[in-house]
Amino acid sequence: MYITKAKTPDNKKVSLLEFIQKHSAMGTWEFDTKLLAITWSSETKKIHEVPSDYEPNIERALSFYKQGYSLDTITKLFNDCIEKHEEYDVEIQIITPSGEDKWVRAIGMPIIKDNKCIKVQGLFQDIDEKTKISKSLAYKEQQLRRTFETALVGMAIVDLEGNWIDVNRSLCNTFGYTKEEIEQLSFLDVTHPEDLRKDYKSMMSMMSGKIDHYETEKRYISKKGETIWTQLSTSIVRDDNGNPLHFVAQINDLTEIKKTSKKVSQLLATTEDQNKRLLNFAQIVSHNLRSHYGNLDMLLDIVKMDLPETTDNEIFPLICLAVSHLGETVENLNEVAAINIQKDLKTEPLNLLENFNRAYSSISALIIDSKTTISINIEPDIVVKAVPAYLDSILLNFLTNAVKYKKPSEPAKIEINTSTNNNFVVLEIRDYGQGIDLVKYGEKLFGMYKTFHKHEDSRGLGLFITKNQVEAIGGKIEVESEVNEGTTFYIYLKKHE
Amino acid sequence: MNKIDVACIIDDDPIFIFGAKRMMELSDFCKSFMVFKNGQEAINNLKPIMISGEDVPDIILLDINMPIMDGWDFLDEFVKIESHKLITIYIVSSSIDPIDVNRAKRYKTISNYIIKPISTDTLKEILQLELAK
Repeated sequence: MYITKAKTPDNKKVSLLEFIQKHSAMGTWEFDTKLLAITWSSETKKIHEVPSDYEPNIERALSFYKQGYSLDTITKLFNDCIEKHEEYDVEIQIITPSGEDKWVRAIGMPIIKDNKCIKVQGLFQDIDEKTKISKSLAYKEQQLRRTFETALVGMAIVDLEGNWIDVNRSLCNTFGYTKEEIEQLSFLDVTHPEDLRKDYKSMMSMMSGKIDHYETEKRYISKKGETIWTQLSTSIVRDDNGNPLHFVAQINDLTEIKKTSKKVSQLLATTEDQNKRLLNFAQIVSHNLRSHYGNLDMLLDIVKMDLPETTDNEIFPLICLAVSHLGETVENLNEVAAINIQKDLKTEPLNLLENFNRAYSSISALIIDSKTTISINIEPDIVVKAVPAYLDSILLNFLTNAVKYKKPSEPAKIEINTSTNNNFVVLEIRDYGQGIDLVKYGEKLFGMYKTFHKHEDSRGLGLFITKNQVEAIGGKIEVESEVNEGTTFYIYLKKHE
Repeated sequence: MNKIDVACIIDDDPIFIFGAKRMMELSDFCKSFMVFKNGQEAINNLKPIMISGEDVPDIILLDINMPIMDGWDFLDEFVKIESHKLITIYIVSSSIDPIDVNRAKRYKTISNYIIKPISTDTLKEILQLELAK
C-alpha cells in the first residue's frame, strides 16, 4: 500500500530493489503455504545459478542444499517456521548446478494470520567468498597455533614490559613451570641475575628501533633453581606505523650441550696432564736409565782391563751380553720417546722416488745377497710432505721388512706402487712373503716389542717406531695380509700441494 | 810431555768418578786428578787455584745434571774467573736430549759433548788433541 503512495513509477521502484539486491548479493523469496508455491527474486535465482525464467518449487528448492548437515538443518528450520512460527537465520551450503559448493545465508520469517502461517518470506545471501576466506584463515591460525605449541624449540610471545603473553609446551618443559605458573612471571623473573643487564639493554635497543632482533647465549633459572643455558633469539613485532607491539622469543635449551662440552674439556685437561707425565717419563728414560747403563758398561770395560782373570768364565760374557741388550733397549726407548716428545716437526717437500732410491741403494747389498726381485713404480714427480730423517727411516724399515720376512723356500719378491687418495699419496709395498695372521696379531701388529716371525734380528720395534713416525708427519698405515700369500702395507703420506 | 798434568772431574755420581779415574789411570791419561761432587764445590775450590795459578787443571770433564749447582750454572760462574791458562772443558753426560746438545754448542769454552759411557778410546782421543796444542 506504500507503493500506491509513491511518486515514482512502479517499474522504477522495482529496479531500485533489484539494485539493492544485486549489490548486497542478497535475494528475496516467498512461499505461499496455501498454494505451496515458491517464488524467487532474480538475485536469488542468480545465487542458485539458474536462468531468470527458472520456475522453482519446494522440492526443487530443497534439492539444492548439500546432503547431510545443510539439508537436514534447512528442512527442520523451514518446518519449524511453518509449524511453530519460528524465524531462522542460518549459514549453510548449497550445491550449484555446476556442482560447486557455495556458502549461503538463509533467512526465513513466517507471516501469521489468525494464528496460522500463511506465508514464509525470506532473504537469501551469497556469503561464499567471505566464509571461505574466514574458514581458511581459521585453518591457518590453527596450523600456526599447532606449530607454536608442538615446536621442539621453546617459543614465547612477550609484551613490552617483559610479561609472557603466550608460551609453548617446550618452553614450559625447559623451565619446569606449568603454563599457568609461568604466565604469572615476567621474562626477567626467570633470567639468571648475571644476564639481566645485558637482556634489558637488548630489549631497550629493540624498542628504540636500533635493532630489530638479537641472538645471544643466555642463562635462565628453572623452577628447581638450576641454571639453564640457552641460545636465545628475540625479535620485535611492530604495527603498520612501526610502533612496537610485542617480542617473539625462541629459546633453545643448551644445557646438555654445555654439560657435554664441559666433560670434553675435563677430558682434555686429563689428557694434557697425562701427556706431561709421559714426557716426564720419557725424560727419566732418556737420562736416568741411560746413566745407569753407562756406568755398568764402563765398569765392565774396567774389569776387562783391570781384572782380566775374573772374565775367564761362563758368567762374565753373559753379563756383558745382558748389559749390551740393556743398552739397546734404552736406545730404542729413546728413539720412541724422541718421536713422541717432538712437538714442532719441520716437514719439507720431498721427492718420493729420490728418497726411495736412496733407501733402496743403502740396502742394495742385502737385496743382491738375498736375490730379491723388486719392481718399483713410483711416478718421478710425486712430492710428499715429510721430515727427511723420518721418511728415510720409514722407507728403509718397510723395505728391510719386506726382504726379511720372505718365504724361507724362495727369494723375496717386492712390488712398489703409488696412488693418490684425497690429500694423501699412498705408497703400496707388497711382498709375497710369509704374511701375518691379522686375525691373531692384527691388534698387536704395531705394538712395541711384538714379533710374529722367528727371525734372528726381529726386534719388534721397527713397526712401532715407523708407525709413530708416519703419524707424527700426519700420515697413517693400513695393512692387508694373508699367511703364506704375503703382506701389503699402504703408507699414507701427506701430499705436497 | 805425553801426559796431561791435572784432570778435573765434576760429577755427582761416585760410580762414574770411580770408573773415569780408573780409565784415566789405565790409559795413562794424566798425572793427577781433581774431583768435585757438584758445581758449587768445584767453583769454591777452583777459584783460589785459578787465581794463584798453581796446579790449574788442563782439562775439565763436566756433568750437567748435578745437585746444588748444575753444569750450566757452573759454566756461567766459571767464565767469570780470570785465568791465564786455557782450560779445555768437555761436557760428559748421559743426556742425549738435543736441547742439552744444542745448549752446549752455545758455550765457546766447551770443546765437545761426550755422551756417557766414556771409553778408553775416547780418553785417548782427548789426550791426542790436548797434547797437540
